[in-house]
Amino acid sequence: MAFLALQLLIKRAFLAVPILLCVSALVFLILRLLPADPIAMSVPPGATQADYDMLRISFGLDRSLPEQYLIWLGKLLHGDFGGSIFFRRPVMELISKALPATLELVSFGFMLGVVIGIAGGLGMFMLRGRWGEQVLDGSTTVMMAIPEFLWAILLILFLGVLVPVFPFIGRLAPDLTLPPAATGFLLVDAALSLRFDLLMSVLAHMALPALALAIGIAPLLMRVLRSSLLETIHEDYVTQARLRGTSETRIVIRHAFPNAALPTLSLIGVQGGFMFGGTVLVEMIFAYPGLGNLMIDAVRNHDLPVIQAVALIYCILVLGINAVVDVIYLAVNPRLRLKGRAA
Amino acid sequence: MVLQARNLTVSLQSKDGRIDVLRDVSFDLAPGKVLGLVGESGAGKSMIGRVVSRNLPKNFSVTHGSLTFAGHDVIHGSDAMLAGLLGDRISFVPQEPLTALNPLMTIAQQFGEHLDRIGIRRAHQHAQMVKALEDVRLLDPKRVLSSYPFQLSGGMCQRVLIAMAFVSQPALVVADEPTTALDVSTQATIVQIMRRLQQDHDTALLFITHDLRLAAHVCDDILVLYAGEVVERGPARAISGDPQHPYTRALQAANPSLDGPLTRLPSLPDNMPGIAGFSALKGCRFGPRCPVADQACVGAVPQLRETSPGHWVRCSPACQHGKPVAAPVIEHRADDLSGEVILQASGLSKYFEPPRNWLGRREGPGLHAVRPMDLCVRAGEFVGIVGESGSGKSTLARLLMGLETPTTGQISLDGRDISVSNPQTKQLRLDTLQMVFQDPQSALNPRRSVEELVTQVMESHIKAVTPEARRIRAQDLLRETGLSPELLHRYPSQLSGGQKQRVNIARALCVTPRLLIADEIVSGLDVSVQAQILNLLLDLKARRQIGLVFISHDLSVVRYLCSSMIVMRHGKVVEQGPTEQVFSNPQHAYTKALFAAAPPADLESLWPPEQTSLS
Repeated sequence: MAFLALQLLIKRAFLAVPILLCVSALVFLILRLLPADPIAMSVPPGATQADYDMLRISFGLDRSLPEQYLIWLGKLLHGDFGGSIFFRRPVMELISKALPATLELVSFGFMLGVVIGIAGGLGMFMLRGRWGEQVLDGSTTVMMAIPEFLWAILLILFLGVLVPVFPFIGRLAPDLTLPPAATGFLLVDAALSLRFDLLMSVLAHMALPALALAIGIAPLLMRVLRSSLLETIHEDYVTQARLRGTSETRIVIRHAFPNAALPTLSLIGVQGGFMFGGTVLVEMIFAYPGLGNLMIDAVRNHDLPVIQAVALIYCILVLGINAVVDVIYLAVNPRLRLKGRAA
Repeated sequence: MVLQARNLTVSLQSKDGRIDVLRDVSFDLAPGKVLGLVGESGAGKSMIGRVVSRNLPKNFSVTHGSLTFAGHDVIHGSDAMLAGLLGDRISFVPQEPLTALNPLMTIAQQFGEHLDRIGIRRAHQHAQMVKALEDVRLLDPKRVLSSYPFQLSGGMCQRVLIAMAFVSQPALVVADEPTTALDVSTQATIVQIMRRLQQDHDTALLFITHDLRLAAHVCDDILVLYAGEVVERGPARAISGDPQHPYTRALQAANPSLDGPLTRLPSLPDNMPGIAGFSALKGCRFGPRCPVADQACVGAVPQLRETSPGHWVRCSPACQHGKPVAAPVIEHRADDLSGEVILQASGLSKYFEPPRNWLGRREGPGLHAVRPMDLCVRAGEFVGIVGESGSGKSTLARLLMGLETPTTGQISLDGRDISVSNPQTKQLRLDTLQMVFQDPQSALNPRRSVEELVTQVMESHIKAVTPEARRIRAQDLLRETGLSPELLHRYPSQLSGGQKQRVNIARALCVTPRLLIADEIVSGLDVSVQAQILNLLLDLKARRQIGLVFISHDLSVVRYLCSSMIVMRHGKVVEQGPTEQVFSNPQHAYTKALFAAAPPADLESLWPPEQTSLS
């Protein structure tokens, strides 16, 4: 099993190289084709044409496109994303601050979404034919009909303003100070320094944005899980287990759910990828200092190096999530593990 | 009595009122006895098992009569009482062993779950499982226990399920078509194992099957069901040796024999109506199809009468000594092996390379699906290809059709080499060869009408075809395959299984091919419908001098249809020759074992054979 998983990950890593090259080239090309002028955005009002030209040359924007791309790629291989034109700081530094925040938020939102999705799907299945199913079914429609950024606003309105349960700006209450041991992952930092006030504050700040992201993936999971449960419950092995007098609870937990979860699992992989896309708007709405917010700032200021870097990071994250889901799939489905090794 | 039914009636509540899908069924099943429920699909034979397990389909319910298990009222007893019995005192052996086991759990996990259920302590479970698997003659129980179901063959899975069914030493085992999905030789072994376990533990066995001949060998008593009614009931020997009811006789006669002179199979008209049609049946439910029915049969529902001790028949007394259903007509097989050669294959083989591993290297041995073989089919010749699953017979069909590229060898059609695939050979193939698929259900596009389906090939094959031409052609084809022209505008879902298979054949005939390739085309059909299709094929041969490559696992059907046959095993031809010669004097040990594994018509001969040296 471990060997197969490793094999799969190595294969995926090899495949990732051409994908990342394509994505980077595409992003690079599109950004250069747009009428975006990062220098014009960052020069002071009184600058002369000479100042402007000097800046252009210093950022290498006067060279040909392929040249620019190769230079950027060459630096990238040494772990250098270049410098931000707008922030006047290395892109790496900006990303290393924003990435942990986004990862933390996405993990939390992802877990929340999967828990809601699975619990809801099982609930809909158990309540099949009763009014409870209708209620849950209706709720999935509402969840899907409203886009996640609108959910973010609605959540702020209801759980932040009307009934102020959760804070909705930033990652942390302003009066709290960060511990010195900084991994950037505030939950980890808080836990390591045994600061429970900090931990609670971080969690409370994540609650609403994570919920907004979770609502983006939960309803589809609920529906897919429900329909595959409805299919598996008519499978011969379920009938046969029932004929052996196996209890209904055990049938659902041991026989129907694991089999029904397989299609849901591959959906989770796809949805996990989408969730990173969802962070862009959600982070902006909650003023959450993550990659999404960084991306918005960069786009607003035509900060090409930052846009390129963040796009690439998103791509790596999506590929990573898919690889992880595939490994899990391998672990829970013996047919894949033992294919071609039939006794 | 272990299981006792009295006037049991199961009904479907529909918007058109109540339809009895099982009417007035009574029987007694004593410990250590085997009761066979025999009937075609839709006759209601699975209903009794479903009543026992409270697993009736939606809107079905018991409306009359009683069913008791060892004194417990199965129909009115509490759910808890019944749940306590299931798996412990009553157990079930399923039809499809491969899908009846959870693919995500090992055999040990599933067996262990069952042992938990019947209250066996964890510490004792392993030893018990090993013993139970040894009892069903699985050679390496430890390896089986650590396997997943998909790593085992169908026969092995069925043995595991039988082991699980018998491990609690139940009073009753219900086996619903337990061997239908299995190979002939596996069937013999499974029957043997079940019989022995059942006798050792004095278990009562309810054996549900469509195969009267098999039931006659396995069961002590038999109940023959037609359209939800018991038409005949009695000791297996009496039912098989002296069938009284016209339906039982027809059922027996529709099954081609494995020895003796060949006679044309008498086939009943139409097929048994579906459940929705039951309410339209007045008087004797078999009446509309009965070859000896008269006015009296339409009036009242005939009662079961005892004709000899223990042997009951639901037929009017007047009919009793009437003629048997249609006198057998001697079928002269026009075995002219002198027709011109249509298809000739020499040295034909197919080798599947092993799959590439992640480094792109090929790992492990490949599969020799078909080893080099020769085949020749003449006009008017029917060639039977017999073999068990994995013998390569379906790959052979695909090779002939050009759906697979041969690894070696040559195929020629009408003397022209078609081994190399190009537009010309493809066209020649399409003009000469047609394939009839196994499952008419999935072979017919549900969104097309019969007219469109049977003339489908005209769309691409014959240019500029007018709608009138298509209609006329479709009508001809329906007439030729014995279908009513009313069916032209029906859709597959509105047809019965037999009608679908006829449409399937009609479609293949549209280009007036000279050779048909038929892969297990009757294995999914009921015997009476099977007889109709077999006779249709013989008529086509007589009328059109058509050639046929008939792939089947059923020896009796091959004997009935084919003038020459090929026996395949593991991709290899083990025997090849004129059918009568192979049957009367088989040379290869495998062929002999295959013949021995099929239940003979003669009840006196010992079956299953003590030693089945197959698999």
